[in-house]
Amino acid sequence: MSTHTNSPTMSRQDAVRKRAEREHGAMLDELRTRADYLSEYEYFMERLTETPAQLAQRVAMTLVASLCIQAPLEIFHALGLFSYRISCASLVLGLAAAPALPTLACPLLRSCLGMLANQPDSAIFQQWLIPTTCDWVVKFPEMARLAGLAEPDDIYWLELPHLKDAAASQGRWGAEVKRLVRHLEKRTGRRLGARSLERSMEIYQDAWRVFTSLIERRREGAVPAVWFILMANALYRDCPKGWAEAVERVIPRLLTPNDRGKRVFLAGSPVFYPNYKIPSLLEEAGLRVTADDLCSSERIIPGAVHYRDPSLDGLVEALAERYHQGCLCPTFADNERRLGSILSQRESFDGVVFQVLKGCHPYDLESFVLEKAMKEHGIRFIRIETDYAAEDRQNILTRLEAFRASL
Amino acid sequence: MTLSGLRLLVQHAAFAMLMYGGRFGIRLGPALPCFACPYVAGCGGGCYLMALQGPFFGLGMPWAAATGVWLWRAVGYLLFFVLLVALFGKLWCGWICPFGTLSDWLGLVRRKLRIRESALSPRGTTRFGWIKYVLLAMLVVLPPFVAAGWLPQDFSLAFCNICPGKSLLPLFAGETKYLGIDFTNHVTTVFSTVLVVVTAVVVVGSFFKDRFFCMVCPLLALMHILKPVTFSRLRKEPDRCTGCGTCRRVCPMEVEDVYTEKIGNDVQAGACIGCQTCVGSCAGDGALKTTYFGKSVLVSSRKRAAQAIRRWFW
Repeated sequence: MSTHTNSPTMSRQDAVRKRAEREHGAMLDELRTRADYLSEYEYFMERLTETPAQLAQRVAMTLVASLCIQAPLEIFHALGLFSYRISCASLVLGLAAAPALPTLACPLLRSCLGMLANQPDSAIFQQWLIPTTCDWVVKFPEMARLAGLAEPDDIYWLELPHLKDAAASQGRWGAEVKRLVRHLEKRTGRRLGARSLERSMEIYQDAWRVFTSLIERRREGAVPAVWFILMANALYRDCPKGWAEAVERVIPRLLTPNDRGKRVFLAGSPVFYPNYKIPSLLEEAGLRVTADDLCSSERIIPGAVHYRDPSLDGLVEALAERYHQGCLCPTFADNERRLGSILSQRESFDGVVFQVLKGCHPYDLESFVLEKAMKEHGIRFIRIETDYAAEDRQNILTRLEAFRASL
Repeated sequence: MTLSGLRLLVQHAAFAMLMYGGRFGIRLGPALPCFACPYVAGCGGGCYLMALQGPFFGLGMPWAAATGVWLWRAVGYLLFFVLLVALFGKLWCGWICPFGTLSDWLGLVRRKLRIRESALSPRGTTRFGWIKYVLLAMLVVLPPFVAAGWLPQDFSLAFCNICPGKSLLPLFAGETKYLGIDFTNHVTTVFSTVLVVVTAVVVVGSFFKDRFFCMVCPLLALMHILKPVTFSRLRKEPDRCTGCGTCRRVCPMEVEDVYTEKIGNDVQAGACIGCQTCVGSCAGDGALKTTYFGKSVLVSSRKRAAQAIRRWFW
């Protein structure tokens, strides 16, 4: 993969990179000057500021750039690959990619394209893995072309059936994940074995077990929203073992507040580094996020993958099922069970804050569906539509403060 | 201790007690709701199916005896059986039944060898579930015919004569005679041949499919009929379910009802063996629960599901 190399582009790239570095620096400064800063968080900040080349060197694995969360991480891990989730919420990088894209393009994918186009070592990705989730994700390669970014040699489409409960869809997805296994085996020249896959599953389950402990502390109000999301974001930039150890170092240092204040459930579009506008505004408004179902946070790994059949097919099928049926992405047609993810935490929050990124149509639509369902259950609900720009901060803060008063 | 660890412990303690308890003076009676086989010398209790069809105080009782003390004993055993089912429900199958434990051992060997479990398409338990009701009907209908003299005496205990528990469980007491062909007459020859075939099918089937025999177990059918009088219930809060499919995946009986239910509350299916695996592995807080006398005794939670992983070898 390569980007344009003529000199005006280079100078433009340099300027973008400098602005992006300043944006990152400002974010890190903001994090480090917070009253609840702990030195243990540095580990996660380092992971999130690491370049792909640095990451590949540190974990000693080949990176596969992937979008969304449907490709089972354990399969990559067992084959010695690292699934690098393309995720970036930089305003600067998004603006850099914006001129070539539709006005209402998803800010997240715009920013991701900006990152790939301006990061010096993006060429490290020999492969993009794209699950067919939302329209923006499906159009990612075309958007990349529009943004002047050359595609890698290998774009692998993981066709995601948009019905979860239908047996035919489940069967198709199982076959699709097996096709992915064969593809990765061919690329790596390695055979996926039941033992190595089970070992990788155990490593991720251990990480999830630690993550669950962190989530338990979060329910008590001990983990500020910004730090929780930062730690969760870092999982896609680290080996699960190292990440889990780092989280374990944080947990004993977290303090449960005497006054839990008003607690909210954060739902909606994903929140990624370096834009923590909504979580920080929630804190500013006196709202404590005790639960969420963001695919960049509590849903970053699907959770316990229990299985009865430890044969290779049995394990792959268990993973496929867990990553498909357990996924609450709004791009699914039959997603009514998504409500369960909120209602099962009913005791942990007083209201629901739903954030929609401008241009994120599936979440936009779902916010209305959920609002109706929440009201039927007597749960307070607020919908915030925003992007990565700072201009609407005050407006959002005022609305959140009013929401807090209503709880 | 995890739930699976506790179950493992209870299953093996129950196996030891029901197989060898009689040698130490433990006799729990002939009306247990599990395959505790009376053909095992020194067993600690007997399966109710034998009592039910038996010629002494079951449906095979002679008409002349059916009016005296034998009748009251038959009623007493029936009430004792119903009481045991009411008290422990299907825990008898998933946690106590020695034949179920034997079946789990075979499944464990398969797992250790990482051999693929056979998937019965679309769902075996539903497909073959009717067989257990046919067997139940058989063991209720045949004994009176024997008692009336319309069938030869060799038809008494007809179900026991083809039950794989009779051939396999006595092996643990060093008894091999039920695993051969009995050439006494045509009827015994046919019954014993059928038993050998059934035993071979069940052993091979249990190796490739978890709880293979439970799919057709008439005792499970009888217990399900008694479900309204049981004190335990498997309940689901559909609003708290995220539909991840874990309950269906971990179920040794491949029961789908727990997963598919989106409105109702009572989700214990006819094929359920009460192993509680679904509740123990469900990560939805409060989505599944087992109640006893209306009180929750086991509630699914993210925390429990996280702890249970990797110890799920049983």
